Amino acid sequence: MIPPEVQHPLVIEHLTKRYGDHTVVDDLSFTVEPGRVTGFLGPNGSGKSTTMKMMLDLATADRGRATIGGQRYRELEDPARTVGAMIESDAFHPGRSGRNHLRILADATGIPHRRVDEILEEVGLTDAARRHAGAYSLGMRQRLGLATALLGGPPVLILDEPGNGLDPEGIRTLRDRLRAQASGGGTVFVSSHLLAEVEQLTDDVIVINDGRLVTQGSLAELQRAASLVRTTDPGRLAVVLEQAGAATEAHGPDSLIVRGMPIDEIGERAFTTGIALHELSPQAGSLEELFLNWTTTPSVDQEAIQR
Amino acid sequence: MTMTRLIRSELRKLTTTKMPWAFLAVLAVLAGINAIAVIAGTDMDGSKAFIATEADQQSLMAFAANALAIAGLFGAIGVAREYGHHTVVPTFLASPRRYRAVLAQLGAIAVSGGVLGLVGAGLTAAAVAFSLPTTDYGFLVSAGNVTQVLAASAFAGAAGAVLGAGIGSLVRNVGGAVTGAVLALFIAPPLVVQLASDTASWMPSILANVVSGVGNEVSQPAAVAAIAAWAVVPAAIGLIAVQRRDVV
Repeated sequence: MIPPEVQHPLVIEHLTKRYGDHTVVDDLSFTVEPGRVTGFLGPNGSGKSTTMKMMLDLATADRGRATIGGQRYRELEDPARTVGAMIESDAFHPGRSGRNHLRILADATGIPHRRVDEILEEVGLTDAARRHAGAYSLGMRQRLGLATALLGGPPVLILDEPGNGLDPEGIRTLRDRLRAQASGGGTVFVSSHLLAEVEQLTDDVIVINDGRLVTQGSLAELQRAASLVRTTDPGRLAVVLEQAGAATEAHGPDSLIVRGMPIDEIGERAFTTGIALHELSPQAGSLEELFLNWTTTPSVDQEAIQR
Repeated sequence: MTMTRLIRSELRKLTTTKMPWAFLAVLAVLAGINAIAVIAGTDMDGSKAFIATEADQQSLMAFAANALAIAGLFGAIGVAREYGHHTVVPTFLASPRRYRAVLAQLGAIAVSGGVLGLVGAGLTAAAVAFSLPTTDYGFLVSAGNVTQVLAASAFAGAAGAVLGAGIGSLVRNVGGAVTGAVLALFIAPPLVVQLASDTASWMPSILANVVSGVGNEVSQPAAVAAIAAWAVVPAAIGLIAVQRRDVV
């Protein structure tokens, strides 16, 4: 268990990255707490990988900063033993064995070579350790990438799409490993576009779209953050609630799905505007449904979502 | 301590793929060509005057210009493939102060290039020495001059590798880096000389021959300094570029 005083929250403050005229990451701020597995969600090209690269000082932010336990990545005393990262899943020479790939990193960071064999065993690559990495399957490459991240036994894991190509057993091993890491006080930040995987893996989610924060919070709370309202005047109620910052969508001829507003506030606003309600109930959505809502509708008032 | 670890890591990178073996094979072929030249080659008049004196034999053995070119390609490929295969990502994660990683890479590349130069010169000297008994001439090169040829090749190999590494870190893909190294070492020098004939003495192959003791266009210290400059300038530009650029 990592003592609270040496835990490493990841803090992103107003991070912005532009390539020419295109803003890839736009004034992004969020915090990843230790002790939890945090999923980083967004459509392809939404800026997830660029954000992670800026966190690791592989790319330079045009504005804002990212810190790990209060320090920039490049300022860390012993980065390999502090942060394990998997950014490019194929970051190895195809003509080099998996074992030599890890030994090179062990040499660079002063990690004993016996640790290489231990981690190969842990990710299930012992039998393939002497084979050229170019002959590995996609799943084996992912395991090698994971082994690279875990080599230094770091308290922080930043993993870009770690589940890609893993078979169900590999996914379960990954889930168990990440869960153990978080329950020991570690910080786990995992990007993915596989929503089912995120639902299995994560406690919290941070969702971005077009480089901007869409929502963040506990996955369980977010999944409950919608309400079903059945009313005689759904059109007028939608206008009232949207003016107050909620997002609404029609759900049949007499019903609305309302997001971003506590259920009691919905009832109070309907009452004060004289709109009769026939039903008002929490609406639990699947992550896929929520994700599509978050990333295809105009941004919802973030404070309203957090309430 | 950190630099020692990083250099060890970079040396392991260079020695855990087949690339060094490919370059050693090229060196062996070049040595074989020299042996065939000694055994079967003649001058225009049918004589073997080209191996008749110590200076002739030393000139045949002088490998520094070849070392510079071959190690240049070695350095360019060795560094550019790091970017092509993204292996530079774990390197810069392990050493986020990138200048350290780049300096370690340059150090390892220089050592490897030096070894390639030394091995190339050694193989060539051995090929000449072992093929001379098939002719009427003995091995005439003094131990001191053999040492100079070997040392010059090692130095030129190290410098060529650093030059190539600089180009590799600027171009970042193997095809482009090889093209860049070929341009810098083979194509640009004669073009520059055509435009400004006074520069001929300062071109890499001429300087390498001076260092090997088979040319006198400039002084030896000046040749050493100029070869070092040919290596350091692109390496320094590459280092600055790596510091400033996003990695991936």
